[in-house]
Amino acid sequence: MPEPPKSVQLSVDGRTIEAPADSLLIEACKSVGIEVPSFCYYPGLSLQAACRMCLVEIEKTPKLQTACTVIVQPGMVVRTATPQVHDARKAMLEFLLTNHPLDCPVCDKGGECELQDMVFRYGAAESRFLEEKEHQPEQKFSPVVYFDYPRCILCFRCVRVCDEGMDVKALGVGQRGVRSTILPNRPDGTLECEECGMCIDICPVGALTSDAYRYKTRPWEMEFVGTPCAHCGDGCKTTLNVRNNEILRGNNRDKTGINGEFLCLKGRYAFDYVHHPERLRRPLLRRAARLEEATWDEALDFVARRLKELAGDPGRIGFLGSNRTTNEENYLLQRFARTVVGTNNVDHHRTADYAALVAALAGDATRYAASGDLARAQAVLLVGNDPTHNHPLLAWNIRAGVRLWGTRLYAVNARDIKLRRQATRFVQVPAGQEAAAVETLLGSAGNLPAEVQKALGELRAALEKESGVIVVFGAELYGGAVARLVEFGNRLPGHTRYIALGDYSNSRGAADLGVLPHLLPGYAPVANADARRRWEQLWNASLPALAGLNARQMFEPGRLRGLYVVGANPIKTFGRANTREALGAPELLVVHELFLTETAQLADVVLPVAAAYEKEGTFTNTCGELQRLRRALDPVDVRTDFDILRLLSHALEKPIPLRTPEAALEEIRREVSGYQVSLATLLTGEAARTAPVDGRLPKEAVATPAGLVFSSDDSLFTSGTLGRFSRVLDSVHERKLPRSQL
Amino acid sequence: MALQLSPQLRQRFEQLKKRYPVRRSALVPMLLYAQDELGYVSPDLIAYLAEELHLRRVQVDETAAYYSMLRRQPAGKHHLQVCTNVACMLRGGYAVLEQVRQRCGVPPKTPTADGVFSYEEVECLGACTGAPAMQVNYDYYENLDARQAGELMNQLRAGKKPAPVPYASGTQLGEPHPAEVRVLTRRFGLPDSTSLDTYLKHDGYQALDKALKQMTPEQIIQEVKRSNLRGRGGAGFPAGMKWSFVPKDSPKPKYIIANADESEPGTCKDRPLMELDPHQLIEGMIIAGRAVNAHQGFIYIRGEYRYVLEILERAITEAYERGYLGKNILGSGFDFDLVAHSGAGAYECGEESALMESLEGKRGYPRIRPPFPAVVGLYGCPTVINNVETLSSVPAIILKGGEWYAGLGPPKNGGTRLFCVSGHVNKPGIYELPMGFPLRRMIEEVAGGMRNGKKCKAVIPGGSSTPVLTAAQLDTPMDFDSVAKAGSMLGSGGVMVMDEDTCMVDVARRIMHFYAHESCGWCIPCREGTTWLRKMLERFHAGGGRREDIAQISELAKNMLGKTFCPLGDAAAMPTISIVEKFRDEFEEHLRAGDCPYARAAAGVGR
Ligand SMILES: Cc1cc2nc3c(=O)[nH]c(=O)nc-3n(C[C@H](O)[C@H](O)[C@H](O)COP(=O)(O)O)c2cc1C
Ligand code: SF4
Ligand code: SF4
Ligand code: SF4
Ligand code: SF4
Ligand code: FES
Repeated sequence: MPEPPKSVQLSVDGRTIEAPADSLLIEACKSVGIEVPSFCYYPGLSLQAACRMCLVEIEKTPKLQTACTVIVQPGMVVRTATPQVHDARKAMLEFLLTNHPLDCPVCDKGGECELQDMVFRYGAAESRFLEEKEHQPEQKFSPVVYFDYPRCILCFRCVRVCDEGMDVKALGVGQRGVRSTILPNRPDGTLECEECGMCIDICPVGALTSDAYRYKTRPWEMEFVGTPCAHCGDGCKTTLNVRNNEILRGNNRDKTGINGEFLCLKGRYAFDYVHHPERLRRPLLRRAARLEEATWDEALDFVARRLKELAGDPGRIGFLGSNRTTNEENYLLQRFARTVVGTNNVDHHRTADYAALVAALAGDATRYAASGDLARAQAVLLVGNDPTHNHPLLAWNIRAGVRLWGTRLYAVNARDIKLRRQATRFVQVPAGQEAAAVETLLGSAGNLPAEVQKALGELRAALEKESGVIVVFGAELYGGAVARLVEFGNRLPGHTRYIALGDYSNSRGAADLGVLPHLLPGYAPVANADARRRWEQLWNASLPALAGLNARQMFEPGRLRGLYVVGANPIKTFGRANTREALGAPELLVVHELFLTETAQLADVVLPVAAAYEKEGTFTNTCGELQRLRRALDPVDVRTDFDILRLLSHALEKPIPLRTPEAALEEIRREVSGYQVSLATLLTGEAARTAPVDGRLPKEAVATPAGLVFSSDDSLFTSGTLGRFSRVLDSVHERKLPRSQL
Repeated sequence: MALQLSPQLRQRFEQLKKRYPVRRSALVPMLLYAQDELGYVSPDLIAYLAEELHLRRVQVDETAAYYSMLRRQPAGKHHLQVCTNVACMLRGGYAVLEQVRQRCGVPPKTPTADGVFSYEEVECLGACTGAPAMQVNYDYYENLDARQAGELMNQLRAGKKPAPVPYASGTQLGEPHPAEVRVLTRRFGLPDSTSLDTYLKHDGYQALDKALKQMTPEQIIQEVKRSNLRGRGGAGFPAGMKWSFVPKDSPKPKYIIANADESEPGTCKDRPLMELDPHQLIEGMIIAGRAVNAHQGFIYIRGEYRYVLEILERAITEAYERGYLGKNILGSGFDFDLVAHSGAGAYECGEESALMESLEGKRGYPRIRPPFPAVVGLYGCPTVINNVETLSSVPAIILKGGEWYAGLGPPKNGGTRLFCVSGHVNKPGIYELPMGFPLRRMIEEVAGGMRNGKKCKAVIPGGSSTPVLTAAQLDTPMDFDSVAKAGSMLGSGGVMVMDEDTCMVDVARRIMHFYAHESCGWCIPCREGTTWLRKMLERFHAGGGRREDIAQISELAKNMLGKTFCPLGDAAAMPTISIVEKFRDEFEEHLRAGDCPYARAAAGVGR
């Protein structure tokens, strides 16, 4: 652990202030509310000292000094508000404006532009510049990124964030001197990159803009709604900018939330799926072999009637839940299956074996790491997964740790993943041999090639010198292999913590809330009579004592008469043929969906549902951070999964008495292991840490069979079925590139 | 890949890639050599080099985009580069440019229809005492006028190649002027002066022998401190003191760099030092290496000096062959390797930290200081960087003693200095004179007096970055402290003399043109300020000035002064401020006349 920094005393504008030793003067000033203007300085990025806006007087130094590079010294006497300093700022602005169009009225950044603010504060808007301005036409770097040369003030924030933060380095600087410009990485003047848009949001002026938003509106005409991103399992907060029930922009300019300023392409722009023209707006009922539009009443009556008809045989009805529905909906779904229908046949596409981790942690709730911990870790061990693509925020945090904190990254992977560049040690294992690698780490001689064993031995030796390692693993490890990994991790010095990596926005929540055939909410085993009894009392129903069918078993021919799918597309995810037979030929197939997916096309009834940005509830990210969804849009014609299930429970005469997601959350917070979080935290838009544990999980409960836990391995440009309905994701050319080239 | 490279070029690439502690350093030379063969930097070449050096494409692209010698379009077979910077301008550079422009009949940097020629106006070529000068590809042609330039083009078109100058015009090879004190230049004019044998016959490598065998590193530094040797690159920082800043206990490798970027307008003295006596520089560098325990040196030489680079490379090879470089030098156990590295056209790369960035294969952006190079320099390691002339002075100091050297000049200004006297004098030349030599005598005696019997109006004493001196200040002794007292700087030794017919507004304009062209673009005040001032001065000189412009020019320059990231901004501001201050009446005259009175006079229209 680094020692807490000592502090020094200095004087700024006549005030004595205290600041940590080693801190930059500009930060020290900011901490006491003395604003020193800056363009090029950006916390966390390399120092630039290029814009010269932060010049201040320091006693005993003849020239003005840049507050962004000076380290505070004891006894330093600083003046930030003298006429000399003011004149310097004004002069810098005047220089800057010589080649700036000052077209604020038509600029997308108008109203939130740092230059505009600065001119307002320091003057210099009336120009003495009579000469011709440098000019180059606007360039379309990519469908996402547009560059307007005249507005660029060459602060190089974009170049640095892309290089240092993203490790993409897609932007360079072209030309030199006054003609310097931002240079994208392809010879034809376009970008091939992660299209994250970080460069756009970090741009202090309107030089970089996104197509999604350009010229559509003005900032002050919009509402800003911060809500977790609907895509991957990292749970970034994205601030949706909404006007007239339309999302125009996503960003996180206020840097709140677990992700700070970070968002990937999906969080920033792939909200557009909600406005996709193929969104389902009316229930569909199969009539004479065709799906036809129906009213909600018709559709719900149909479902209720058919479920009733099958009710005598609850063991032959199955429920497939979602990686994207809210915790409240997941909770409701499994409760619906277990209490209304009376079956444990409830599962989902498991993209990480969270249950195995819970079991391996054996009741120790202190061993979960949060996403932010990765940015300040001493060491990280990554087994499997490709975080750059599957977990962009976590990859960003790992890179930040390596860059700013000296984190050492150790990675074991079958692929040559991008994070290899940050890795202190990287061991490439043969495909599918991640579990064998864990065995090797534990010291058993396996069948891995000798050089891999040797490399793993070295990696272990290095890890044994670390302390407080964060172990991060993908779906390559499941069941017993997770237990073995934890066994290895817990042997390392210090307090090892863990993160299991699951694919989607609420993958973790589906597992935590019991959308599993063998586990009740909070990982309470179905087979455990005590656990069952507790939930029976709460739900006032009797629960089947045997574990239900898992997803693959449900698809076995003849197993099910009714299959009820909520927000999932098993035909695609489980790689089945495009027929009902491939799903086990159920007599009844009900699907809740946003789009007419492959699975929905086969259904008897398709219920159009609200998207994540159209409802309330909570998501749990893959690290267990719980966040509240805020509704950005009013759902048009569609209903939430929550409402549909609740209505059906009434229609089936076993009403679930939870009227709202809030009520469900209250029950979850009260009853589900690890979810005893502060409501205040959630309501203020912060993430609350959950830590479900169950010390009683028997080994068998988590002896996950093969084929149930697997990742869809989405890239930065895909997002399961949902991603296929985003125009932005579709428009970037990188989506068409083979993964090895990304 | 469509890229066709000759076996020789591939072989050179292989050598270049192995030559540096960090492979990326090979990038700029690779780009330049490839351009020599391919004619320009093509997208394929960029992709190829990115792969060769394990870089991203944009890293190669942005680096290439920085350097003015690197082209993105093919040039003509003979690329004519005409210097119009102050020293050349004073002696007819624009007439040469006009001749070339008319004969080519195409826009600059565009090949003629037959592909024989292309041309461009360039910044100071380091041929100021041979002004006006023009470079054809890498060959120097000097002392041209418009007619001679035309004749040269005729010959080139006819497939003939007139001999370029063998060395910088104005170099003193024969009998020295009695006022000269030949320390660094004493081997100039010897037959075969670049050869190791000649060098050895005239005290060569004896200082090295002494330094390696009879002196400790501390003693070497002491001796250099005693000599009062001050940096000849411009700032005049005491060399011995700089060497003593290198941390002795640092476990990192240490480096010596000779700054041979020589791009300060008016300066052309490192060129003869290298082309006529390369071993003197090499010896100085090895001694410096010994003093600070560095085992690797680099000579960063401006790209235009290609033939000088080749002379250096031959000398380095010879020194390796004879055991003066490499392992266990002279049996002392001391190792030293040396690489001559080519730049590719960027004045800013003479600034020491930008030079290191450039040597690392990047855009020549300066670095934040502190830390200073002596602690964190090349590749993040302690580095001593000195000008060529500074390092070339070291062997004599070691051999004859610091005290002797110090005694050649006034207190705190040891030794001699090479002054490049250019402009309106009868005998432009590079003269080695003791520090403190009076400016008036330099012009009137040593450089043969004012041309055509004209009166002297102004002198730029140390390269175009230094404030002008007026005729009234000609008695200033030319040493660092005296010139500073006169309100200017001794700078790089580029003394540009202007007669009474010179338009000072035009001089200010041409100076600002240079800085605007060379501003790296990193910081706002320099990037925007130099271009703003260039445009204003162009307008003003052309007769479009307004009264308030005069004060505004000076005010904008002052707004730059002291606020830029590196000293280039000051270098642009200082001469401008001084010209407005000292020659304000000439600005007024332009206002009154509505155009440039001097241009009319020169055109015979009368004033
Ligand atoms: C814009 C700029 C250009 C420079 N160009 C050169 C140059 O061409 N050659 C040189 O020796 N020093 C040049 N210098 C000075 C160097 O930064 C550095 O001070 C010098 O190489 C140190 O060597 P010295 O102490 O021996 O003079 C330049 C400085 C600036 C600010
Ligand atoms: S969008 Fe992201 S990856 Fe692409 S250039 Fe901008 S910062 Fe770099
Ligand atoms: S595009 Fe924006 S962020 Fe990038 S250098 Fe220009 S002003 Fe700065
Ligand atoms: S990293 Fe994941 S959660 Fe964050 S913006 Fe991207 S897809 Fe959304
Ligand atoms: S003063 Fe600024 S813009 Fe000019 S050369 Fe130096 S760093 Fe570059
Ligand atoms: S913030 Fe300090 S120079 Fe830009």
